[in-house]
Amino acid sequence: MKPELGTVGRSEPRKDAREKVTGAARYVADLEAEGALWAAVLRSPHHSARIVSLGTERARRAPEVVAVVTSADVPGQKRYAAILADQPALAVDVVRHKGEPVALLVARTREAARSALGLLEVEYQELPAVLDPVAALEPGAPPVHENGNLLTRYQFTTGDPDAAFAGAEVVLEETFRVQRVAPGALEPEACLARWEGDGSLTLWVSSQKPFEDRRNVAAVLGLPEERVRIVSAVVGGAFGGKEDSGVAVLAGLAAWAARGTVRVVNDRWESFLAHPKRHPAVVRYRLAALRDGTILGVDVLGHLDKGAYASYGPAVAGIFTESLTGAYRIPAVRVDTRLAYTHAPFSGAMRGFGGPQAHFAVESMVDMLAARLELDPLEVRRRNAVRPGDRHYTGVPLDSSARSMERILAELERARKRLRLREAGPGRRAGVGVSLAVQSMGLGAHVPDDSTARLEWLPDGRVVILAGSPDLGQGLAVATEQLAAEALGLPAARVFTAPLDTRRSPDGGVTCASRMTYLTGNALRAAAARLEARLLEGAAELAGREVAELRYQAGEVLLPDGRRLAAGAVASRLAERGARLAAEAVASFAYPPERTPQEYPVGIPHVLHVFCGQVARVEVDPELGTVEVTDVVAVHDVGKAVNPAAVEGQIEGGVAQGLGYALSEDMPLKASGEWVDGFAEYLLPTARDVPRIECVLLEEAEASGPWGAKGVGEMGVAPTAPAVANAIFDAVGVRLTRLPASPEAILSSPGGPPPGERPR
Amino acid sequence: MTVSFAVNGREVQIACDPGRTLLEVLREDLSLTGAKDGCGGEGECGACTVLLDGEPVNACLVLVGQVEGRRVETIEGLAPPGGELHPIQRAFVEAGAVQCGYCTPGAVLAARALLSREPDPSEEQIREALAGNLCRCTGYAKMVDAVRRAARELGREA
Repeated sequence: MKPELGTVGRSEPRKDAREKVTGAARYVADLEAEGALWAAVLRSPHHSARIVSLGTERARRAPEVVAVVTSADVPGQKRYAAILADQPALAVDVVRHKGEPVALLVARTREAARSALGLLEVEYQELPAVLDPVAALEPGAPPVHENGNLLTRYQFTTGDPDAAFAGAEVVLEETFRVQRVAPGALEPEACLARWEGDGSLTLWVSSQKPFEDRRNVAAVLGLPEERVRIVSAVVGGAFGGKEDSGVAVLAGLAAWAARGTVRVVNDRWESFLAHPKRHPAVVRYRLAALRDGTILGVDVLGHLDKGAYASYGPAVAGIFTESLTGAYRIPAVRVDTRLAYTHAPFSGAMRGFGGPQAHFAVESMVDMLAARLELDPLEVRRRNAVRPGDRHYTGVPLDSSARSMERILAELERARKRLRLREAGPGRRAGVGVSLAVQSMGLGAHVPDDSTARLEWLPDGRVVILAGSPDLGQGLAVATEQLAAEALGLPAARVFTAPLDTRRSPDGGVTCASRMTYLTGNALRAAAARLEARLLEGAAELAGREVAELRYQAGEVLLPDGRRLAAGAVASRLAERGARLAAEAVASFAYPPERTPQEYPVGIPHVLHVFCGQVARVEVDPELGTVEVTDVVAVHDVGKAVNPAAVEGQIEGGVAQGLGYALSEDMPLKASGEWVDGFAEYLLPTARDVPRIECVLLEEAEASGPWGAKGVGEMGVAPTAPAVANAIFDAVGVRLTRLPASPEAILSSPGGPPPGERPR
Repeated sequence: MTVSFAVNGREVQIACDPGRTLLEVLREDLSLTGAKDGCGGEGECGACTVLLDGEPVNACLVLVGQVEGRRVETIEGLAPPGGELHPIQRAFVEAGAVQCGYCTPGAVLAARALLSREPDPSEEQIREALAGNLCRCTGYAKMVDAVRRAARELGREA
């Protein structure tokens, strides 16, 4: 029998909820700072241009202006890096996208800083620009960087694709296009930076990666890392958009130049133009199959639009490439992914990290195969879905993670049957679509992928977690508090998380890649065992006993004479001698050679996966082309739901982002020549657009995870858009090959057979 | 000029340019930072929602000169500091409706306005009332649950 769990598995309340519902929570822009100055950023008005001259004298002389910074003033490295140091802190000689920072101006008030931007005199010589990833790789395309526009190319072949296509009874080919979308965290990027009297720098930043920010700020300022301290404030959402050091680098430069405290708070348009987006993609997908629906092989050519700077693009391209076969066992695979620089605002990390783009293609293709063969789309999925014992095309075994697939398919079947019973509203047509998806966890082979956590027992009896990765709002703190509490046999209320401070917190790594619950959980579990050992050592010494005579139980030490010693009391006695009752441990993602094919580039492959599936029901107005999503059922294998309400929150939020991807969100270049850069035109789903979402949580334990838990941060997004597109096909016979599914797209698409005549 | 109005039941007089927005005055002059700027002051996101004479407004679109003599309620006025939470706030906590929290103060106030005019709202009315408050974290499911839960709770109290 499994041991009874204490707090893991319960929807414990979040400790930060109270301060968030009362308005007391302090985000970076809310922090009070005596005499703080404001910085404003002069940004490129051009896609591509040479900076002929940049005059700062008039601005420097303006009454309330304290400092002006251009790239010439940058004391350290001119460029900083996520993966590749190609991104200038401030433009060097050229600008490569609209919105790129060109100069930084510090003044006494925000208004003064903004209005003085007009006093900066920049002469640009416009250069030709390329804004499409396919065109960017054609001969003669305007170069974005010196070394050409192809940043990364992945070409992998497994099995014999040529034979698969030669032996196929049916071959399908389609090209899919997905748009540029923004993470759209409600809190725009912000940083408060204070230049200290001793020549060091303290920054409060809304970020997913404080330790990486520290490295980048130090590099740009030419300071040793220990002279830069990053403190995390409350983070107002991130979704990949804050996996970027841009705002910290600018604030650090501003505080250094002004020798003071400076705020940088982005406006929404700055967030759109100068922070990571989800890569737009063009995916040409060929699929070979037998008449019974068995997929023999695929051949995929993908172009990802990098925009102007690398950011995490090569890693996104890796997960995109690995995700191109979705949740399917496909014996012959040829993939060719090209990550192309363009003069668009740069792409980077965004929830799903290449997965949503790939899944729109593969899940649409599988539905098209079913339609062509007049088979049930779910049956075709069942025939091809991964099974325990299968390997991913990279060679990675999918043993434990594939165990949930049969249950996922059964839940989808049940949900679809139920949703199909409902009639459409008057004048509308109803359709139900399904999609499977896979999401990997972790950063990939050969990338340092660890997390350190520290636990300390306080004299008041509480345990504090010094976590090295920030909670972005998703509930990392409550999940890790529960995991630490479970490990120590304590109620979750007795464990709390200290605010992140790079001076005190160990490096937990970037909060990303669905890695935190798994990795921090494992680190905390190991740290808890060590803490327990320290406690027993301390108690033995205080009680004059041997450690072997003592026993730990739920926050107390049991002495041989029956007395109990509270851990807080031991901590208190140790504190009298200046000692802390604390322990630290590191956990790493394991990439054991026998599970990790070694022939791939750095970051590929990933070895742990989560599987899921979703069903969407839509009602389409065939006259207007409008789509209402009325229901989504999300079936997700989470390993173990550490905090079920928080897990549901992750899935529901992911589905909402998937609905935006499917139906409304898009950041195109407008006829005016400007990018869509505000919420007036970039349509986030509202409470009216998102339907009731039913979450079905499956728990197939991951043996290497804490109490079986897997990552849950990203997986909600990928299946949603294809499920909606497949539902639209079911309703009106229109196969969407691009997102978002605007009414125009639905009305102008060549229609399929009228509803009712298709096999069910 | 000087503008006089009531904030959370307290009379304030602010000497300022009447062309400044209510959001700026609340955040910068009165240190009431519960109202947030999420869209750049364009009235698109609802994170700065406050109640003006009981009606929800985007504080970024209201000029401080327009609130002369009127009643403003912000999130800070809903529960006494350190005291018991308002039932709507409690419902948001208990329903798991809070993630990053940036939209939460605005959504709570939008819910308050709804429940004061419609104590027993339908799901459609709740979604309508929250439609001006963008949330990127929750998918709204647990926010809608929270408002329903608060309606029940307030109904019991009444």
